[in-house]
Parts: sequence; C-alpha cells; structure tokens
Amino acid sequence: MEANIELLLGAKVYDANGEKVGRIEEFRADEDGDACRIEAYLIGASALVERLSAWTLIRPIKRALKTRHIYSVFEVPWQDMDLSDPKRPRLRVARKDLQRAR
Amino acid sequence: MDLIRDVLDKKLVDREDCAMGRASGLVIQFGENTQPHITHILIGGPSLWARIHPALGNLSTKLSQLWGPKKKEHTRIPWSRVETIGKEIKLDIEAKESGAIDWEIWIARHIIERLPGGGSEEEE
Amino acid sequence: MKKILQLTLGIITSVGGFLEIGSVTTAAQAGASFGYQLLWAILLGTICLIFLIEMSGRLSAVSKHTIVDAMRERFGFPFFFFVLIGIVIVAFLVLVAELGGIGFALQILTGVGFPIWALPVSLIVWLMMWKGTFSLIENGASLLGLITISFAIAAWKLNPDWSQVGSGMLPSMPGSDKAKYGFLAVSILGASISPYLMYFYSSGAIEDEWDRSYIGMNRIISTFGMTFGGFLSMAVLIVCALAFRPAGVQVDTFPQAALMMTTIFPKWGFYLFAFSMLFACFGAALEISLAIAYFFAQGFGWNWSEDLEPSKDARFAFVYTIIILIAAIPLILRVDPIKVTMLSMALTSATLPLAIGPFLFLMNDPIYLGKYRNGWISNSVVAIVIIISFVLSIISIPLQIVGG
Repeated sequence: MEANIELLLGAKVYDANGEKVGRIEEFRADEDGDACRIEAYLIGASALVERLSAWTLIRPIKRALKTRHIYSVFEVPWQDMDLSDPKRPRLRVARKDLQRAR
Repeated sequence: MDLIRDVLDKKLVDREDCAMGRASGLVIQFGENTQPHITHILIGGPSLWARIHPALGNLSTKLSQLWGPKKKEHTRIPWSRVETIGKEIKLDIEAKESGAIDWEIWIARHIIERLPGGGSEEEE
Repeated sequence: MKKILQLTLGIITSVGGFLEIGSVTTAAQAGASFGYQLLWAILLGTICLIFLIEMSGRLSAVSKHTIVDAMRERFGFPFFFFVLIGIVIVAFLVLVAELGGIGFALQILTGVGFPIWALPVSLIVWLMMWKGTFSLIENGASLLGLITISFAIAAWKLNPDWSQVGSGMLPSMPGSDKAKYGFLAVSILGASISPYLMYFYSSGAIEDEWDRSYIGMNRIISTFGMTFGGFLSMAVLIVCALAFRPAGVQVDTFPQAALMMTTIFPKWGFYLFAFSMLFACFGAALEISLAIAYFFAQGFGWNWSEDLEPSKDARFAFVYTIIILIAAIPLILRVDPIKVTMLSMALTSATLPLAIGPFLFLMNDPIYLGKYRNGWISNSVVAIVIIISFVLSIISIPLQIVGG
C-alpha cells in the first residue's frame, strides 16, 4: 500500500479502544543506505513545537509557569500504527501503553 | 531524521546545484508487517495543492493537462536519488531530465524568450 | 570597503518604507492637521523597523536562507500559501500606489495627467528589472533617492521650535478630531512597518552574498538605513506643520502636498518635491515588485536572482512582468492612487500579524541561526511589535471608515 505523508500530517489518531490520542505531527525516520525507513510517529501538540524548533521559546514559558507537563507528545513505534486506512490511522495498542517522547 | 522538519518543503537541487523546486510530498510504501519506507519525493503541482484541499489538487491536475507543458503525471523522484540532506536536498539527477523544471522551461521558451532581451535558457 | 557600500541596501529599503507615497502623504496630513503631535508614530515605526530589518539580515547572513525560504520550510505549504495571499494582495495595492506616485510627480512636472503616464511608467520600472542587476537597482535607486534630503534641509531652514518637536516624540491626545488622529497614527505605522521591506532586505542580503562576517555591518546598515528614512519622514511632517498648519490648510490631494516646499524654496520647491517623489516612488516600485517576485520564487523553490538573465529564472521574471503590467490597469482606469494608498495602509496594518508572528519562531530557531538567534531584547521587541500589529489589525479598518 502507498500513502503520502504530507496528507497523513495532522491526521487524528485513535487508539485500539477508540480513544483519541492526538494528531500525527512528525515522522521519525532512519536512513539505511539507499532506503529511508520510518521508525516512529510523533503524536501530540508538542511534536508541533519540536517541528517548529520552538523549544527555545517554549522552555522559558514552561519554567516561568513552573510546570513539568504543559504538553504531551507520544512516540509511537511503526509496528504500533495501522495505516490500512490512511484517512483514519489507528493504533494497535491502548493509549495507556504509549511511551511519552519527552 | 524528522521527515516533516528536515525533508518536506525543503529546496531540491540537482547534480549541478540547479534549483528543482521544493519537496511538496513524500510517498511511503507499507504493508501489514512491513516497515514503512519512503519510495519517492513529489515535486510541485497537484501534490502541493492537495495539501490545502483535495479539490485544489484535482483542479491542479486538470489545469496542468490543459496548458503549459501538459504533464500527465506528477514529478516523482525516487528516494534512491537522494545524495545529501542538509539545508537543501541534493539529488543525483539532472533537473531537465527529471521533469521538475518543465514549467520553468515552458515559460522561458513560450513567454520570456519572446520578449526583447529575455535571453535563452539553453545558453551556457 | 565593500561592506560599507552595502549601506545602499539600507537606504533603498528605507526609501520603500518611509519615503514612498503612502508615508509622505500621511506625514504631510499629520503635520498639516496635528502639528508635531504624531512624530512619536514615526519614531515608533523607525525603532520597530530597525530591529525587524536587522533580524531579517541576520537570518539571511547566517542561515543563507531568506525569511520566505525559512517560513515555507518551518510552517509548511498551507500556512505559507495563506500568508502569500495576504501579503501579495497588500503589496500589489502598494505597487499600484507607487506607480501612481510616479505618475503624479510627472503630472506635476509636465501637466499631463497621471493616467497617461501609467503605461510608460510601468514599462520603465519593468525595463529596469528586466535588464538591470540587483546592485544597479540597489545603488541607482539609493543615489536617486538622496534628493529627498531636500526635505531635511527645508525643515532645518524653517527653523522649528525644537523643544516642541521634542515634545512631539511622546504620544499625546489631540484636543479634537481624535478619530482622524487615530487613523493617521495607524496609517503612519502601517506605511512604515511594511512586511515587504523585510522580504526585500532579506533577499537583498542573499543577492549581495552576505555571510556571518556581515553580522556587525548588518546592524550598522539597518540602523543607519531606517534612521535615514525615519528622519526624512519626520522632516516632511515638520515642513507641513510649519507650511500648512498655521494657515489651516488641509492636505487632501497630492498637488496640495507639492506646495509644502514652496514656503522655503519659492522658486525650486515645487520641482524639488516632484523630483523627490518621482525618485522615491520609483525606488519603492522596484522594491515592491522585487519583493513580490521573491516571495513567489523563494516560496515555491524556483530559480531567482535579479542578476540572472530573465530566461534563466523564467518564472521569477514572469511574476514581476505580470504584476507590473496588471498594476498599471487601475491607473489607466483613473483610480485615485491616494485612495489606493489609504486602503493599502489600512490593509498592511490588518495583515501585519501574518508576517511578524512566524518571524518570532524563525529568529529563535537554533537550526537556522545557531548562536546568532535572538536574545531577550530582540525577542521582547518582536513580541511588542506583534502586540502592536494585533492592535493595528483590529482598529485599522474601523478607523479608516470613521477617521479616514
């Protein structure tokens, strides 16, 4: 199957129980010779901060607000993502089993 | 490497550093138990406009067949042609052969070169 | 030595910001209606521009990317396209106004109406871009623009009360006509803090092949250039405050504004004004045409450079050819350039957040700027400009209706 990642960007992702997890904001990939394989998907608003390289702006705000978590981002390994319907990506695991990226 | 931050919308250049446009899309291939991998970079045209709305992508496809270089297919560059990814993406390809600058050549030949002093895009 | 000559990039950029038809007519109206009370608006615009232009140059010198390159790469195509629509519509209206300004200046000099001049003027602007190089445009327009120093000489010779001029640098409310005062303040800021100046300067830094060694010089160029323009814009306001306000003359038309220099230079004042506007609007028209073409070319990843033969950057050349041609049409149809100017300034204010907002992120991006990204002072200035731009964007159009 084929899909366009620029059209997957921003797609809402639901977990195996139908619970909303967030939107796909980034694709982590690894180059292996001539191939480029997707290792993980970053889901959540803070992945957008990562993509905009905006941590230098956000960290001072986070420090000023004295919060540990004002954001959430999940790093979903490729095996846990089901893209058989690219318009409705689903996780193969539950949200509670996801690993936070930060 | 992060694909949206480091690859998508980045400028593409050929072997001779000639501008080829920007990476407007990336095609991935995947299966039930196969790790997704990038097969092609898409340049310009319908893949670009579909990011705003699918209807614009369809309109772009129809218009591109009516005038200009009348391309039937999107410009797709195999990922295997990627040499380096940095501030630009350097491709092991010639811009003219790739189809990425068909519009540039068409406008140069049909409009710019017909005006006095426009020059010739074929001159070295 | 070569770096010092780059001051011309600063001068031509400031001509497009402070000495084009919009800035001159609003400064003239401000002086005629409110004396020195709106000098603070020009000062605020100048300070904001010094910082914004310095940042634009720094981004290009360090990252070898223009603002538009970086905006497309960081924010993606849909966002870029949205900004493109807003910025290009406004910049196009300003281009119509500048071509009209050149036409008006020729009307004053020759008696032939500006609609007749629309096509020849557009052709000359286009020809300069078609055959000229970036340094010819940069140096030529800057040199010609130096005639506007006559405004400063006129202001000095009129011997204003400098303590009153100083008081005008601080905001104060007028006794009456608050809506018009507010409209003119917004218009002055909208006319000076124009996003196309940033795109032009950033592209110019790439055209002139700046690198990290230009960072210090960039500060000097942006400060000197914007101060030059702001200073001359203040001079226009002072001249009109002294020439028109005592007699209660309102400046509503361009030919009326032309009389501002005749008080002090009875024989040459008319011609000095006309030639100043001719060259300033010509420089501004070149700058805006280039800024629009740069925006398209950089955003879509085409070949671009004013130094290339048109066939080598065909799409870039096609864009500026088309926009200059289309910009002549409203003038041929006798649309009043002053009305277009007023509308463009209100819309510039309304669309400022689109341009300045992303800039805050770009100037803090470690990948583009590394150790040269913004410190807290620059970030604070950008944040203040963003707040100002949001306020302007909300009030500009209602004020245009009520006070314009």
